[in-house]
Amino acid sequence: MNKILGIVLRSGVILSGAIIAIGTGLFIANHSLDDTSSYLAYNPSIVPHGNFPASLASIASELASLNPASIIQLGFLVLLATPVTRVALSLFLFAAERDRKFVYLTAAVLAVLLFSILATPLIPLFNG
Amino acid sequence: MIVILFFLTLFIASIAAGALGSIVGIGGGLIVIPILTLFLGVDIHYAIGASIVSIIATSSGAAATYVKDRITNLRIGMFLETGTTIGAIIGAAIAAYLSATILEAIFGTILIISLVPLVRKIGEEFPPMQELKGLAKKLNLRGDYVERDGSKIEYNATNPGKGLAGMLVAGLISGLLGIGSGTFKVLSMDLAMKLPMKVSTTTSNFMIGVTAAASAGIYFARGDVNPLITAPVALGILIGASMGTHLLVKAKNTAIRKIFAIVLAASAIEMIIRALGF
Repeated sequence: MNKILGIVLRSGVILSGAIIAIGTGLFIANHSLDDTSSYLAYNPSIVPHGNFPASLASIASELASLNPASIIQLGFLVLLATPVTRVALSLFLFAAERDRKFVYLTAAVLAVLLFSILATPLIPLFNG
Repeated sequence: MIVILFFLTLFIASIAAGALGSIVGIGGGLIVIPILTLFLGVDIHYAIGASIVSIIATSSGAAATYVKDRITNLRIGMFLETGTTIGAIIGAAIAAYLSATILEAIFGTILIISLVPLVRKIGEEFPPMQELKGLAKKLNLRGDYVERDGSKIEYNATNPGKGLAGMLVAGLISGLLGIGSGTFKVLSMDLAMKLPMKVSTTTSNFMIGVTAAASAGIYFARGDVNPLITAPVALGILIGASMGTHLLVKAKNTAIRKIFAIVLAASAIEMIIRALGF
């Protein structure tokens, strides 16, 4: 089980690193001598604050045109999925050990984690 | 600054941040944030977004090795993670109503105070064996790992309640400020729960990834995670973290604690300087 966990973690990291590297390569190939200021502009009065895709829909729609920013964002989302997967797999690990207390504990952590990743961006209280 | 130079600077700084972070159980924001804000002139919001990227990359980049070597204590990590994730959500919810300046001053001061007990046990290679009792016994918060010389190190956790309270604070800080929670996690495990230093830093390494993932959704949706910054940070950290893990496995616990004490002092100073408005 520890072996499976190790393999899953390693593949998640390699996959995310590879996607980000491809996005970086594409970006550098066309923009290496651009000034960074336009890419780093931060606008506090609109959400999202920058001029790059920050939602699943916008990332998906720009992936088709091989937009480097979208590819890098996708790589980050794969990276974000690795700790979540790690907690989810731990649930099976504790279930296999018939450790009921830790199955409940891990399920609670996973629930809070999924809630905060998926739901909190939609709740105004968290976006002040 | 031109794109290629920005990339290279951030990439090299991130390799260093990943190596250091994976050894002492912190996320590397300590290095990445000042490089971005002071040196590269990037908005603090993007810098904190980059810190979230760097934390998750350090945690996942180092995880594969630490899982294989079985130094990370998954049971203790998962028990404490209940405190950090809940703390992180509360922190994110109340962040808009609190002054970051005052928080940074308070947490910076707490970090400086906690240097005293840390320095007092600076030469301790392994903690004295603790009796497994109370909640720690109920949840079987114990473990063992094999050192480089083949000796098996066994340990029991003590004061799980204090450890959990420390984690709630660690979660609050990361939800409120987006930074600095790794140092609190290592401190709680080292000072309150009396775990061997390597177990504390590698278990913190596991936990910081989960805590940062909990607040990543909010930062990402706001548009604080900028791909131009994410790319060199993530790539650099992943390389640095895999280098750091090899160093940790070989290092002595006393050496790791010394490096951690320096990192702790640096992050306390960084927090206080920021609170003073520089």
